[in-house]
Amino acid sequence: MFLQLVANGLVEGSIYAIAAVGVSLVYGLLRLVNFAYGDMMAFGALIAYGVDGPLHQSMVVAALAGMAATAALALVLDVVLWRPLRLRRAGFMSLFLASIGLALVLRQALLLAAGSQPRSYDVNPYRVFVLGSVRLSEAQVIAIATAAATIVAVGLFLASTTAGRTLRAMADDRVLAAIAGIDVGRTTRLAWLISGLLAGLAGVLAGLVEYSFDPNFGFDLLLPVFAAVVLGGIGSAYGALAGGLVLGLVQELSTWSGFAGGVNPVYKPVVAFAALAVCLLIRPQGFFGQARVG
Amino acid sequence: MTELLRVEDVVRTFGGVRAVDGASFAVADHSVTGLIGPNGAGKSTLFATIAGSLKPDSGRIVFGSARIDRRPVHRIARAGLVRTYQAARVLTRMTVLDNVLLASAAHPGERLAGLVLRPGAARAHERRILERAHDLLALVRLESHAHAYAGTLSGGQRKLLDLARVLMLEPSLVLLDEPMAGVNPALREELLERILAIRRDRGVTFLIVEHDLDFVMQAADSVVVMNEGKVILVGTPGEVRVDERVVDAYLGKAH
Amino acid sequence: MSILASGGFWAFVGVVAGIYTILALGLQVQFGFAGLLNFGQVGFMAIGAYTMAILVVKEGWSTWLAAPLGIAAAAVGGLLLGLPSLRLRADYFAIVTIAFSEIIRYVATNDTALTGGSQGTIALGPIGTASQYNGQWSSFEARVQHALGFSSSDATMLVLVWGVAVVLLALCWLALRTPWGRVLRAIREDEDATASLGKNVFAYKLQALALGAALAGIAGLFYAWEFSFFSPDDFQPLLTFFAWMILLLGGLGRVWAVPVGAGVFGFIFAGTRFLDFAPFTWFASDQRAYLRLIIIGLIIIVLVLVRPQGLLGNKREMVLE
Ligand SMILES: Nc1ncnc2c1ncn2[C@@H]1O[C@H](COP(=O)(O)OP(=O)(O)O)[C@@H](O)[C@H]1O
Ligand SMILES: [Mg+2]
Repeated sequence: MFLQLVANGLVEGSIYAIAAVGVSLVYGLLRLVNFAYGDMMAFGALIAYGVDGPLHQSMVVAALAGMAATAALALVLDVVLWRPLRLRRAGFMSLFLASIGLALVLRQALLLAAGSQPRSYDVNPYRVFVLGSVRLSEAQVIAIATAAATIVAVGLFLASTTAGRTLRAMADDRVLAAIAGIDVGRTTRLAWLISGLLAGLAGVLAGLVEYSFDPNFGFDLLLPVFAAVVLGGIGSAYGALAGGLVLGLVQELSTWSGFAGGVNPVYKPVVAFAALAVCLLIRPQGFFGQARVG
Repeated sequence: MTELLRVEDVVRTFGGVRAVDGASFAVADHSVTGLIGPNGAGKSTLFATIAGSLKPDSGRIVFGSARIDRRPVHRIARAGLVRTYQAARVLTRMTVLDNVLLASAAHPGERLAGLVLRPGAARAHERRILERAHDLLALVRLESHAHAYAGTLSGGQRKLLDLARVLMLEPSLVLLDEPMAGVNPALREELLERILAIRRDRGVTFLIVEHDLDFVMQAADSVVVMNEGKVILVGTPGEVRVDERVVDAYLGKAH
Repeated sequence: MSILASGGFWAFVGVVAGIYTILALGLQVQFGFAGLLNFGQVGFMAIGAYTMAILVVKEGWSTWLAAPLGIAAAAVGGLLLGLPSLRLRADYFAIVTIAFSEIIRYVATNDTALTGGSQGTIALGPIGTASQYNGQWSSFEARVQHALGFSSSDATMLVLVWGVAVVLLALCWLALRTPWGRVLRAIREDEDATASLGKNVFAYKLQALALGAALAGIAGLFYAWEFSFFSPDDFQPLLTFFAWMILLLGGLGRVWAVPVGAGVFGFIFAGTRFLDFAPFTWFASDQRAYLRLIIIGLIIIVLVLVRPQGLLGNKREMVLE
């Protein structure tokens, strides 16, 4: 039972991790807590569904289409919304409220276009992989493998490519980065591109794992993702990865009967927030976050 | 001389930067003490640490007879130790008058319970401080701006407003961070007189960071010199003026 | 068009606008006065409504005791939320407040024994009975209706809600003009500078949060009485966002802008039901509900972009940073 919960936690956690990196990268650059991120995830999941179901394409093609479409959406939104706000030097509050408005628009537009009925990808829910005492569905295996590959790829990208280092430099200090000759506009677009790709991917993986989903499901994922971001220290990409995994594990393991009889699974989201609250009480700057100077 | 403030081995770092690096000195009651040193010496950081908005990494700060280095800012202010900022932090979205009124201490009208239970006392207090606020604004020559938003003031005027505001608190020790920077030269002379008069009439002690050395030499009874986070010299203006270490510090010469 | 012309319908819209006025007034106290980014306002509304309903149904309390306790519970909720979280950075605080309201909703959904769970207040009592918490309120309302000589209960409710709303608005307006309100306005602009003038910033923020929460609790009571039934689904984060839209529409820091914002909001919300001309006729009625929320989302975005102080706000006193 314990190992099964660890496995489930890693599956959940790796999806949170991917999404949390997407949120955190943009926050690092733009100080935007993107409330519309969950709905961007739902957008990607639904595009992939359109390609997978009606168009009878393979899940890989569908996922890539979902990611590409979400990245395109992110870039368009940067031009029509975020850039004008940056030009008027909007602070954190304006950006946050605008993202709430955007979340409403996106989700309702999805509902309008796709309806509220639940859907499922064309995968066999009964195919199960057994690994010792752990049983994982096909979707879970796909999710965890993809997520692991993505996490490694993102980590490598940030650590060892010029573009990745530029992103981190700018997240650290925008002004200094601009002085050092970094093309701020291009780097911002790069951040949105990656953030969008990750949103699409996380959406597809979440749709796979949850088996059935509707346009509202992004919002339910958003708060655990935010919790992961804060746990990791907002703005830190590596922290977000770690925060996502830790949060997934904590959520699942809290239901383990060896842990004070186990928390009722319906309270898993509450556990996530409780973890967040405890973390902030102990370390107000986030678990893996650095105290900022000044 | 009786001491009003004692700073002992105070250290405050930012990441790897030791902005204040073991500073020690004392400020005598009723004195005007100058604090000078080149840019980046750690004067503003030391001010913030004394006033409590930054906590020291180590060391002690004693005000009167009480240790204050672990107290929150507002309690230090209420005990009578207040500061102004190098870049004046007036409340730009409130009127000049409101800025000054805000600083009044122990206002029953600032507590919900006071408003409900003692509305008369709250109103009476407000009337009293209104008069005082106008006096203080006259003192810094901002009377004609009383009802303008503080955001419309120039940088120098904001410094004057900041000064009026801290005086409203009826403090016993005032830390002024570069009070003359940006202030109209015609007003400087007068401001110096006012500060000395406030000290004489109300017994207020001043610790002043100021780059205008003429001002420091005229105003101060005693001068503390800082460099690279440390206090390198304490003396009378006459002693400091001729000390080589001071010249070296300003010229950036290594010892 | 018949509904559109009926007084009953517009009285209902007016009641809803009044409830939202009280809810958004709470946000005005928290954000407009003290600069607190509370995105969990609906959680306090739920606490007020549930506390009252539970005390009436399960404990058999009088409504007139249970209602003030509901308000007090919401205020205590504000204190409990604020004690650990008010020291956080503004962005963390915003996230924590949303999380708080979602925890309230999850607990209300899942702790069936306490709240009736997802079936709502109808399941508050013993199994097999449909419980009611508004008996005393209804007879009070009927007496008021009789005294006023009104023919409809909608109109009576309209008078009651707005009567309370106007009193609360006046109180807040007065409070902002006191020395207490002056300290809050200072904190909203620069809390460090305010602290260095000897003000206990934390205590003031806590007061603002708790008072705003109490106002949300009052809104929750009226919500419960107006609809005679509620369930956890009534307390979605969406309601908080509506309240924010009202605040932005009206104007930041301005007490009397709140009812204006709520009125416009009520009109948009109700009025868009009657957009029965092209292009709206292309959509089915459930789709028009989506359209309405899209319009609200767009209004929020446009206000943030072009009028960050709100329609009636004073740019020199407060803009959305
Ligand atoms: N908030 C801060 N974060 C990082 N470094 C700081 C901060 N404040 C001051 N410093 C550094 O501390 C040193 C002392 O600065 P400061 O106290 O402002 O000196 P002064 O007021 O004497 O010019 C400088 O090297 C400055 O860069
Ligand atoms: Mg300085």
